Amino acid sequence: MITLTHFLVVSACIFCIGLYTVLSKKNAIMILVGIELMINAAILNFVAFGKYDKVSYGGQIFALFAIVLAAAAVAVGLALVLNVYRHYKTINPDEINELKDK
Amino acid sequence: MPILSLLIFLPLLATAFILALPTRYKSSYKYIALAFTAVQFVLAGICYAKFDASQTGIQDLAGYQFVEQLPWIRLDLGAIGKLEIDYLIGIDGISMPLLLLSAFVMLMAIGASWNIQKSPKGYFALLMVLNMAVMGIFCALDFFLFYLFYEVMLLPLYFLIGIWGGARREYAAIKFFLYTLFGSVFMLLIIVGLYFSVINPITGAHTFNMIYMMNPQNYLGDSIFAWDGYQEILGISARLIGFVVLFFAFAIKVPIVPLHTWLPDAHVEAPTPVSIILAGILLKIGGYGIIRICYSIFPDMAALSNWWLGLIGVISIIYGALNALTQKDLKRMIAYSSVSHMGFVLLGIASLTAEGVSGAMFQMISHGFLSAALFFLVGVVYDRVHDRNIYSFRGLAQLMPKYTGYVAVAFFASLGLPGFSAFIGEAFVIIGSFNAASVGTGLPRWMALAGSIGILLSAVYLLWTLQRMFFGEIRLKGGESWANKLTDVNSREQLILFPTLALALLLGIMPSLVFSNLNASVLNLVSFIQQFI
Amino acid sequence: MDQLAHISPLYTALFTVVAPFIAFLYQAMAGKRDQSGVISLIGIIFSFIFGGLTWLAIWNNPIVSAQINWFTIGASTFKVGILLNNLNVLMLFLVPTVALPVHIYSRAYMKGDSGIHRYWMYLSLFCFAMLGLVVMDSLLLMYIFWELVGFASYLLIGFWFTRETAVQANKKAFIVNRIGDLGFLIGLAIIFTQFKTLNLVDLFGEGGLIYQSSITGGLWVSPVNSMDQIWLTIAGLAFFLAAMAKSAQFPLHVWLPDAMEGPTSVSSLIHAATMVAAGVFLLATVFPLFNESALLFIAIIGTITAASAAYFALGQYDIKRILAFSTISQLGFMMVGIGIGTWDAALFHLVTHAFFKCLLFLSAGAIIHEMAHLKAHSHLDFDPQDLRNMGGLKKYMPKTFILMSIASLALAGFPLTSGYLSKDSIIISSFEWALSKGDLYLIIPLSLITVSILTAFYIGRLIFKAFFGDFRMLEQVKDKLHGTVLHEAPKTMLIPMFILGICCLFPLFSLNPVSYHDSWLMDGLLLDEYTFAPSHSAHLIIPLILLIGSVISWTIGWKWYVQHKYPLNANNFALKASLNQGYINELYQWIFVNGTLKLAQFCYWFDRFVVDALVAFVQFIVLSLSQLSVWIDKYIVDGFVNAVASVAYWTGNQVRLVQNGKLQTTLYSVFLFVLLGLIYLIFF
Repeated sequence: MITLTHFLVVSACIFCIGLYTVLSKKNAIMILVGIELMINAAILNFVAFGKYDKVSYGGQIFALFAIVLAAAAVAVGLALVLNVYRHYKTINPDEINELKDK
Repeated sequence: MPILSLLIFLPLLATAFILALPTRYKSSYKYIALAFTAVQFVLAGICYAKFDASQTGIQDLAGYQFVEQLPWIRLDLGAIGKLEIDYLIGIDGISMPLLLLSAFVMLMAIGASWNIQKSPKGYFALLMVLNMAVMGIFCALDFFLFYLFYEVMLLPLYFLIGIWGGARREYAAIKFFLYTLFGSVFMLLIIVGLYFSVINPITGAHTFNMIYMMNPQNYLGDSIFAWDGYQEILGISARLIGFVVLFFAFAIKVPIVPLHTWLPDAHVEAPTPVSIILAGILLKIGGYGIIRICYSIFPDMAALSNWWLGLIGVISIIYGALNALTQKDLKRMIAYSSVSHMGFVLLGIASLTAEGVSGAMFQMISHGFLSAALFFLVGVVYDRVHDRNIYSFRGLAQLMPKYTGYVAVAFFASLGLPGFSAFIGEAFVIIGSFNAASVGTGLPRWMALAGSIGILLSAVYLLWTLQRMFFGEIRLKGGESWANKLTDVNSREQLILFPTLALALLLGIMPSLVFSNLNASVLNLVSFIQQFI
Repeated sequence: MDQLAHISPLYTALFTVVAPFIAFLYQAMAGKRDQSGVISLIGIIFSFIFGGLTWLAIWNNPIVSAQINWFTIGASTFKVGILLNNLNVLMLFLVPTVALPVHIYSRAYMKGDSGIHRYWMYLSLFCFAMLGLVVMDSLLLMYIFWELVGFASYLLIGFWFTRETAVQANKKAFIVNRIGDLGFLIGLAIIFTQFKTLNLVDLFGEGGLIYQSSITGGLWVSPVNSMDQIWLTIAGLAFFLAAMAKSAQFPLHVWLPDAMEGPTSVSSLIHAATMVAAGVFLLATVFPLFNESALLFIAIIGTITAASAAYFALGQYDIKRILAFSTISQLGFMMVGIGIGTWDAALFHLVTHAFFKCLLFLSAGAIIHEMAHLKAHSHLDFDPQDLRNMGGLKKYMPKTFILMSIASLALAGFPLTSGYLSKDSIIISSFEWALSKGDLYLIIPLSLITVSILTAFYIGRLIFKAFFGDFRMLEQVKDKLHGTVLHEAPKTMLIPMFILGICCLFPLFSLNPVSYHDSWLMDGLLLDEYTFAPSHSAHLIIPLILLIGSVISWTIGWKWYVQHKYPLNANNFALKASLNQGYINELYQWIFVNGTLKLAQFCYWFDRFVVDALVAFVQFIVLSLSQLSVWIDKYIVDGFVNAVASVAYWTGNQVRLVQNGKLQTTLYSVFLFVLLGLIYLIFF
């Protein structure tokens, strides 16, 4: 049977993949993807732990709430990335080092 | 009138004058130096005239003359006691002739510096400082004062050789400086040791007074140089070590073989006046120091070790003469002959007989102005063609007859021709050291015989040089242009040479001019040491 | 004379000595301005007169001496003084007597020389030194004048200083004499140590210190000191060493033949009465000091000298060198005289020898003078002193021939001459001495007899070769010169020679021409009895042997040299060795000169490469030590400080890497620390 531990392991794996992506990728979009993965790992945990709150379903509700927030954040993030690209012609965060007025 | 203080510090006044005068008056420096040195010479002459020959000196302050004593440094050092340094000067029969000699040789040196072109201000100022130091050394009776003058003397000499010298002047200056410094540094240790061993019997404080150091009663019983308490350093008697260290400090100056190698280099590189001072005065400080300090403060050790001193003297005589024989550089030859002649001084001192010590003193005086004259004569020919190689010249007698006459007289005088002063000195050193065995001072007779070989060898190298350079057909390395440059001695040079050689003759005929002043002190010294044999 | 007689002999003696000195001073100051030498001549004339007066006053009269204090060393006071006894006044008179003719002669002989003013100066100095030597009353003063004589002879021998041979010769003379001076100095030291005085009267006067000292128990004891008895012998030998150098005795004779490089007039003065006689005079003065062994040594050396010099004289061609060797040989005779204890005989021979040898040299000088003129006029290059260029001169210079013959006869010891008396006195005494000693000692008189005959032969050879036969240069010079080739020397030269010639004959010394015992001179000097018995037969036989030997030798010489029946090969070894003086000079050059030079070079090598290298080595050690300390300073002390600094630097550098402003790096490090924190929380 699938226990809580299995969920947590999968969640940890996803979190790690996300973390790795955030730390290593040179592409802002991929970093956003990494962040998304990490959020999803957290959401998966919410859902998994939701099993212990059978009264108010706090876990599921919080998961839905988080999905919405994540979607909003990604939208903002992508918009930023697009603007950055337009301005710098790159989306490598290492090369974006002129965050100041011209 | 504090005549000795005047004598010592007059040159300092001259230095002040020279330094104060702007450089545009630079032609007057030599006149200032000359004037002051002349006054100094007159003062020394007054000292000589007023000198009471019956006074003994040596270990007896009452026997000193023209004594001046002022408390100089008095410091309460708490537990160690009181520091007591006096300004104590005075002369006896040992220092009197040397003082006069120094004044005379200084006059010669100024005369020889007449044509110095390179920064005369510094040159004459340094020369005058040197003059002061030399006078101070011969007068000082306080060991601290003595050491002070002794060290002050090194400084101007170092610069005089190092700046106004020849091609390898820096090498020679440093060699000279290190050699003498090496001696005097260890001397300082002994001075400190003596200071802590000796007390002033009147005040009870430790003292640097040399006269007190000569009296066994003034030594503290358990001090390092105590007479009765047998103190040892590394298993050797401390007094012996003290004597030996002081002896070597002065022997470097004399110089003895094998501590002589600074001398030829220093002489060859030094300008003529400095050579004159080196040979005429500096070497005498070595002999004077041995008599005044080593022998008087450590008479017991002097009596113990005179065999070795005599041996060193004999080796210096023969070794120096043999070395002089092979030299090609005239100045170097004379430098080595100095080593040989000063060996007689050491042999005479070591004999511990009145004849030997008097002979040694006489030899010092005589060598003082004869070697000065010889170096001056080398300077004459070097000034003209800038070459001193013996083989570059031949037949000079035809070109420079007067010069040849002076050279011949100087050579014969220094090879000990009777009638000149060197003869008296050498003969009495030989007689005295021969006599030593009969008096019981332990100097074997063969040393006198071996020393006399030096007299033969000095004839050989001097005559050989005379023959090679002056006689025969004219043959010069520089050919015709040299022949034109080699003019005979001018009147300035004659003015310096003539009195010097006349003095050598005068002292040779009337040695009593020196001996009479010397005798009481020498007798006192000899009897003072002989009680320890 | 009566007016002069009351002048104290001290003053006359003093004036005798001082007169040449004044002349010397005058000449030294006048320099080139006075070339005439008149003052020198006047000086020596005064010396002659006052020397004579002194001699008259003192001879056979009591000793006179006077002193003044000179200087004091320690407890001993040295005095300057004059001592006039028979020996001293004899010499005091002899020196100017011989020097006067030489001075006169020199005026002609040296005429025109460019350095003649120096010549007069040196000559006066020489006379002063020699006269001073003979009157001084202390050994120290004698030593002073002794060396001054050497110095003056140095100047005179090297008078022509541009000649290489002359300056070599004077250097050699001075240095060889210096060896003797050392002997004198050592003798002085011994005497002074033993007696505490150097005064001749105190030492050797009647009842002097020498006579008060004795040998007791292996010690030589004087009233004031005692030392091992060997020193008595050494003292004697030391003084003899001095005399050996001055009087040219065997191993030290080498300077004298070379000293012929000086002008001939100088040679005659130095070799006749003055310098070489000084040694004999010294030995006569200190005679009481000699013990048996020293005396025997002196006699042996004297014999060797007489024999070797006579042998060397046989082969010489240079006229002056023959005379030089004959001088050495005659000095050998005098030394034998001293050695056998008859110093009066030695002095007698010294006096007679002074006259005839002076004459021989002056005659030789006259010949050389003429030959040199011939050389100058004919523009030929030949040696004017070489006997092989002479011959037949009797025809051109008859007076010189006669005078020189007289002198030669005197040298050979022919009866009726002065030489006969004095030479016989030595030979006969030595024979008597040998008889009293033992058979082995007979070698000495027998050698002397042989040497005497050899002397007759070589001087005969000189006369025959120079004066007889035909003039050998005649053919070569005949076409270049017209009229007389050679002529007699000028009068200024002949007159002094003539005076000396008279002095070579017997009447001056003894009225009895065959017995030397009647000579006034021997009477005046003889102070003690001889130590040996006289032998009457010797007085008869020995002169006869000598006479016959001489005549035979002359006959042979006549045959060989005049009739040209020369039987010997000139290249035979004995003759070559004789010509080259037995190769002694070469031997000395090889052993002593080169040896000393080698030793000196070794010393200098030692000085540079051992003593100086030692200094350099000390310097090297000090430098190395200082370099080591620099290294330690740089790499250890400083290294530690630097290590601390670099650790801090490195850490900072590492930490700095995090702060690169990159988001990911910051994140990474945050994560790392969170992880570390987690690990910590989990495991600890």
